[in-house]
Amino acid sequence: MKRCVSTVLMIVLLAFPSLHIAMAQADIDRVAIITPASRTNQAWDQQGVDNLTAAGEELGIDVEVAENAGYEDITPILQDLVDDGSDLLVCHASGYQTVCPEFAESSGVPVVVIENPGAVQEGLVADIETQAQEAAYLAGVLAGLETKTGTVAIVVTGEPPTWNYMTVGFAEGLHSVKPDAKLLYNSIGEGSYDDAAGAKRVTETVLAAGADIVFGQGDGAAWGMIQAIRDHNEQHADAPAKFIDVIGDKSDSEAKDFLLTSVLFDYTATYLQLIDDLEQGTFGSVVTMNVENNGVRLLEPEIDVSEENWAQVQETREKIVSGDITVSAIGDADGVHNRLKELFPDS
Amino acid sequence: MNIEAVMTAILSAALLSAVPLVLASTGEAIGERAGLLNLGTEGIMLVGAFSGFWVSLRTESLALGLLGGAAAGCLAGALFGIGCVVIGADQVLLGLGLTLAGGGLTAFLFRELFGSSQPLLPTSAGRPFNTLAEHLPVIGPGVFGQKWFFYVAWLIVFGAELVMRRTTFGLRIRAVGESPQAVDAVGISVTRTQCLAATIAGCLAGLGGAGLSVMELGFFQPNVTLGLGFIAIALAMLGRWTPWRIAVIAIMFGLLRGLGSGLQLTRWDVSPDLLQLLPYVGVIVALILTGKGLRMPSALGQTYAQRRRRRPATGSATQE
Repeated sequence: MKRCVSTVLMIVLLAFPSLHIAMAQADIDRVAIITPASRTNQAWDQQGVDNLTAAGEELGIDVEVAENAGYEDITPILQDLVDDGSDLLVCHASGYQTVCPEFAESSGVPVVVIENPGAVQEGLVADIETQAQEAAYLAGVLAGLETKTGTVAIVVTGEPPTWNYMTVGFAEGLHSVKPDAKLLYNSIGEGSYDDAAGAKRVTETVLAAGADIVFGQGDGAAWGMIQAIRDHNEQHADAPAKFIDVIGDKSDSEAKDFLLTSVLFDYTATYLQLIDDLEQGTFGSVVTMNVENNGVRLLEPEIDVSEENWAQVQETREKIVSGDITVSAIGDADGVHNRLKELFPDS
Repeated sequence: MNIEAVMTAILSAALLSAVPLVLASTGEAIGERAGLLNLGTEGIMLVGAFSGFWVSLRTESLALGLLGGAAAGCLAGALFGIGCVVIGADQVLLGLGLTLAGGGLTAFLFRELFGSSQPLLPTSAGRPFNTLAEHLPVIGPGVFGQKWFFYVAWLIVFGAELVMRRTTFGLRIRAVGESPQAVDAVGISVTRTQCLAATIAGCLAGLGGAGLSVMELGFFQPNVTLGLGFIAIALAMLGRWTPWRIAVIAIMFGLLRGLGSGLQLTRWDVSPDLLQLLPYVGVIVALILTGKGLRMPSALGQTYAQRRRRRPATGSATQE
């Protein structure tokens, strides 16, 4: 009898594929996000948590947060989240590119990964491409127009794909308006996202080398860069330096006096789309955040920037959206070093 | 590129960043000299860093913040001393517990008190010898352009060196770490000496943590020390439990760290990751070169049961 029923079911499923898809649809009650560092770091981790919370509120679903998970094996944490009833896991770090798809395969619970399109699997793994190189290009244009010394610095807390995309985008933007600029590139250390002391030390070094604009890519470490610039500006009031931040908006912090702009990330629309995909049974694709869909954008400067310069940035944005300007998407560290040498051989 | 300015920045940052490390490491050295291996230095530094930051923010005084951080460190150090000397808890377990508790507690308190905001302390602090800074290139601004706490910290380290070498109290600490039985036999309280050493070690670790959050960074973040406490423990051993040696190694460590950043600016065709290994390679080389004949305090890590004393009827002999 059982065999009979299953045979009939199989025939029905094969005969009516739409019914098959309908059965794969899911009701989402709870989603979870796992972050390597603190959800209150006003950077990468906080942005992901805040945006997923906003998406959850809009849809009326619960959001569970597992923060400070670090970069060790997070499988037990993922299992805990599933045991608590999470229907979707957002693995909010490029460092989770491998462990999360593996967990999805073994548990059958869908996951979202960052910067790993190769892992995409229908119904199980979706990928977010935070290729912010386009917005970083705009930041580079603004830096090129605003620098007084002609020396601009990039300080990074490692060389993950997300940072690398932005580094190249920024350098290309700077080169487009000021090809004779000097670009200093300095990495604090691999995975040093929260090394505030290291960030302060390195930023002091690039400021001493003449940089008057620092494009800082760090999470908690960004505060070290900010303090280095504050310190510098107090001692060199006649030649103050400016800061360009990434991911979050720090314009209500002490940095507001010298925050030139920020490459802002907004995952809300992306998360809404991914949850909808899961509910509709179409989960498992690559979702790209770019300037056109406002997933990444440039923060409007609150400090004194000439209207002419800001207008030029807006014009450049239109050119990117229309396809007149194409920004390189280089995610690997060697590629970044080579591109920087090509663009600024004398730096 | 202004090479002189870059070298000055590297030297200046190396000297300043060595301060928390030297203070914590000197404290650890004093504790280890007394036979106490405190693996909780990281946790105590975090407690000091958070307390110092909080007090500074509330009182708007950097000096009070530093005192607050030191006081919190003293308390944590005293707890460690009482735990392992009086109660007889395992030093390693208690130390690791302190590290975990310090990290968890300060992260929790920071979240509770400040939520997702990141308050910053003022970066301006007195630079008492700034006028001397202009006369010497590189070394002038690097050494004389520092904030006042820098000089106070080095005075403390110098004082610790004197106390350990030249005073009876220093001798007692060293003797307790070598032979607690002998110290006990001559009527000196091993318990009191070790508890005092643990408290002093805690004070210095707390001050080091506060120095990091209040003077070097000007803010606190959960786990802001990033393993500095463990480096301090290694440094204490590498410096053979002698403050001046510890200071020299800490500065070299800082310089090598700064050199990594400086070399990146030259676009030297070497991976930044390799350059960042420099200070750690330096420590390994130093260990190999100086490790020969390294002798730890004989009673390090051992729990000594203080003899119970009975007032002697006639003589001065003590008995169990």
